[in-house]
Amino acid sequence: MAQTNPPFMTGVPELLLLRLLEQQEMYGYQLVRSIKEVTDDAISLGEGVIYPALHGLERNGSLKSRRKAVGGRTRVYYSLTRKGKQRLTALQEDWRRIQGGISTALEVPAHA
Amino acid sequence: MPRPNFIELRSELLRSGISPTHVYRALTELDEHFEDLVDAGVADGYERIAAETHAIDVLGDLGEVSSAMRRQPELRSWAWRHPRLAMLVYPLACVAALPAVPVIAGVQHASQIARWAICLLVGGFVTALMFLVLQLSITPI
Repeated sequence: MAQTNPPFMTGVPELLLLRLLEQQEMYGYQLVRSIKEVTDDAISLGEGVIYPALHGLERNGSLKSRRKAVGGRTRVYYSLTRKGKQRLTALQEDWRRIQGGISTALEVPAHA
Repeated sequence: MPRPNFIELRSELLRSGISPTHVYRALTELDEHFEDLVDAGVADGYERIAAETHAIDVLGDLGEVSSAMRRQPELRSWAWRHPRLAMLVYPLACVAALPAVPVIAGVQHASQIARWAICLLVGGFVTALMFLVLQLSITPI
């Protein structure tokens, strides 16, 4: 089983969840599979932890949910709200700024 | 048949003041997720028991789920966030609901029962106030 990577994970699941849900509504299992797929398995979560993150995003108004019965199963589908789209834009800008800063720092030779 | 211990998780979350709505929905989602993992394992050619054991591993430590929920104050029930208000509203709601029962049960004598209900309501209201005063007197500030 792949190891989880908590030290650099702050904010990352939120960004990924919002990004994936921007494209289409999904339920938890589907989201975990999509995260694995789009990150090429680089980010590995204890899969159950996705639900507290989804509930938190829903409570702060970034997501909305609806129950749907599919093949005898109860699925809770999540989708992005307008507030969620704004949050995603802000997170993407933050992420690109940090990514740019770290890339620059890695390219500069270390001082002796 | 190996299964995650959702009962313990439910008790832990409810004891921590997480809103029952979030607790029961999270448990439903976790249970469905577990079943999806098992189905995927079986489809990959694992024996059912092996698939279930693997699904428990993949689902992860339920303690982490519990910690992640408890770290989010917005998932707590309103009674947990506003205990003093809950102490006022809950007894009053119960007292207010009491007279409705006989009124609904005895529609033919609704007016008489309504009189009794009003008496009960007033009596119950006074009792609830007494309980509230007693409760507030023993609650540390």
